[in-house]
Amino acid sequence: MRMTARIPTVCPYCAVGCGFYITRNGMEYMQDHPVNEGALCPKGNAALDVLNHVDRLRYPMMRIGDDWIRVSWSEALDRVAEEMQRALREKGPGALAFLGSAKCTNEENYIFQKIARLMGTNSIDNSARRCHSPTIIALRRMLGTPAMTNPVSDLALSDCIFIIGSNLAENHPVVARWILRAKDRGAAVIVADPRVTPTAWLADLHLQLNPGTDIALINGMINVILNEGLENSSFIKERTSGFEGLDLSDYTPERVSSITGLRAGDIVRAARLYAKAGASSIVYCMGITQHSCGTENVTACANLALVCGHVGRPGAGILPLRGQNNVQGACDMGALADFYPGWRSVDDSRAIDELRRLWNARALPLGRGLTADMMPEADLRFLYVMGEDIVNSHPAVSRRRERLKRGFMVVQDIFMTDTARIADLVLPAAAWAEKEGTFTSTERRVQWVSRAREAPGEARPDLWILSEVAARLGFDLSPEPEEVLAEINQAVPAYRGISRSNAGARGGIIWPCPHPDHPGTPVLHTERFSTPDGRARISPVHHPALERTSPQHPLILITGRVVLHYNAGSMSMRSEGLVKREPEIRIDVHPEDAARFGVADGDAVMIETRWGRARARAKLTPRQKRGTLFMPFHFPETNLVASEIIDEKSMMPELKVAACRIWRAD
Amino acid sequence: MKEILVRPERCVGCRSCEIACAVEHSQSRDLLKALSEMPQRRLYVEHVPEYSLAVPMLCRHCEDAPCVAVCPTGALTQDALTGVVRHNRDICIGCWTCASVCTYGVIGRDRRARVAIKCDRCPDREVPACVSACPTRALIYGEVEEVSRARRAAPALKFAQGVAASSR
Repeated sequence: MRMTARIPTVCPYCAVGCGFYITRNGMEYMQDHPVNEGALCPKGNAALDVLNHVDRLRYPMMRIGDDWIRVSWSEALDRVAEEMQRALREKGPGALAFLGSAKCTNEENYIFQKIARLMGTNSIDNSARRCHSPTIIALRRMLGTPAMTNPVSDLALSDCIFIIGSNLAENHPVVARWILRAKDRGAAVIVADPRVTPTAWLADLHLQLNPGTDIALINGMINVILNEGLENSSFIKERTSGFEGLDLSDYTPERVSSITGLRAGDIVRAARLYAKAGASSIVYCMGITQHSCGTENVTACANLALVCGHVGRPGAGILPLRGQNNVQGACDMGALADFYPGWRSVDDSRAIDELRRLWNARALPLGRGLTADMMPEADLRFLYVMGEDIVNSHPAVSRRRERLKRGFMVVQDIFMTDTARIADLVLPAAAWAEKEGTFTSTERRVQWVSRAREAPGEARPDLWILSEVAARLGFDLSPEPEEVLAEINQAVPAYRGISRSNAGARGGIIWPCPHPDHPGTPVLHTERFSTPDGRARISPVHHPALERTSPQHPLILITGRVVLHYNAGSMSMRSEGLVKREPEIRIDVHPEDAARFGVADGDAVMIETRWGRARARAKLTPRQKRGTLFMPFHFPETNLVASEIIDEKSMMPELKVAACRIWRAD
Repeated sequence: MKEILVRPERCVGCRSCEIACAVEHSQSRDLLKALSEMPQRRLYVEHVPEYSLAVPMLCRHCEDAPCVAVCPTGALTQDALTGVVRHNRDICIGCWTCASVCTYGVIGRDRRARVAIKCDRCPDREVPACVSACPTRALIYGEVEEVSRARRAAPALKFAQGVAASSR
């Protein structure tokens, strides 16, 4: 392959979508990228460690008992098709399930879900289930489009930024750059988080609320806003519906103070700061979504923005920070049990019929398929996992990994993950910089990634693998990213005008892009919302019953991320520079709780929730809220103790809170 | 004369600068080898949790640098023009006198070669890697005068507002 001096690429880690160059022997910063202006977080700086890593999968491998033998690609691909067809023949489409990847390109996810649906099943999911499935449900219903309303750089234009349930300074560090720019202009920053995170360091007002009391806080703010006449009446009248049903008179600052543990005055101050600013933004993440009331939490955030009219203008918006480099794209492409490409509901037969014609299919399945957490309980005969370590990322699956594999299991990945270890067949995939295609970042920015390196051994692009499997099933699906993108233009309205040329330009293009000459749409909902009647829905939600502490489990465990690691760790745990700095799991404990339970800094401790037990090292820190503990979920131990309670609307597990106890392990 | 200046009030302690520094100082070697043996630290992000701050600590390239003054072999020298304090590992004897006198504790020890290791301000780059990488612009590379001028602006405005208010 001819190599030019430096090839532009997009970071494979989080969803911020930072650009940099890959050179012959390293990386270079991309000063003119619209999101990161050259800067990168520690993971971005270490991104190349993933390529050419000694652990990379190099050959297709088949399991024989407890051993692995190398097989040829044609043998491996034949086997995938055979097993898929056998399962279909013997048990029907309900015995098949597919897990797409928020790390793979749009084109790959599109083809992957297409294969699933052509085989007759909607049991296709991706890791968005565990980060923003409540956002998908709530924002789609309320605003019409389940995505960030404004780009990240827009935050620099905000006069007030309300960050709730997001530790972006650690998890999306480049976003902090834009928040600091707003602060330089005099913007107020409010952070609601039980912990004193580095994000809280940026705050003018830190609301250290009790875990799980977000709705009470937001309703309390709306209560103040309505009492003081700070709402935007003309916006409410002209652009929303449902306001008349919003009776939050119970949520007085005093009552909210007793629920949240915040001072009533701080609730009033937060409400005034947010409502009175010329342009305010809400930034939220998994602290909002990973609750049994996740969908209601998102609804509350959107209510607040709508009541104040802080949507649809530069600097005014709702910004759910997505987790993976292509999680927005994987969802846009319909790698979800409840949506077809282009956000067509699996219950909307008319919308699906358009795809049936486009795909020349006889019939397509209706109704929600199995979501990831349901897969271990289902009677599956065939499971196809593409680029996802479900064993380490879903506590419910982690605990039942043996049940996941009742039939044949294929895992296609770049490393031998714990999920791959239980598979029957492992297919080596090319990493992001070894293939081509588009990734859609958290701000709906679609960027074309070029091939900068050769894949190791016989590893192949996922799209090639899928196309070969499809051919063996009798489907003619292109292995060429550009041709697949052309089909996506037809299937996903927001992507209609997206091409290699506009997605490949510096910074790509932000969807919706309805035709090839369209410049993209950084700010959504400027004139009308994308709901059927063009109005946003305001919808009251109420403070739920909380996970309670008990004499047996007197503390609350909070889970989250740390700056040096990434999700289930299959990439970051293989990066020496990162691992050296954050080598092992720790539990953050407030010094007073530590004294209460006889734990000293550095002690090995046991933690127990009603879901299980795990061992870790205690780290005493006043940053932790009294009465709570914190464990990062990059390490498998956290899965042993995380909650399995589910938000029924979105099928999101309540990973953020669980009552627990700790004791010294000796 | 440009310097690397630190604005700890913007630092979120993400350690991107540390990793960028390590990557930059691995590039001259074979990439594959560099991946398995990351170069050692020249820059240290110190967390100060009781003040909700993190401070990136790196060589200040002091004028009249104490480390240069005490170095017995001349391994540490100061560039007359740029003021950069350079370290020549070939003639360093690993006596750690420099580390003993460094006010900021930013001279480390290369465990393999058993010689001193410190910031070289990225001689091959226009802007040092740590500065380019910093997501929050807590590290900046600029003339001290420029930076101080920017720093003066905000308090000057406040001062002016106060004078205006008191004369009202």
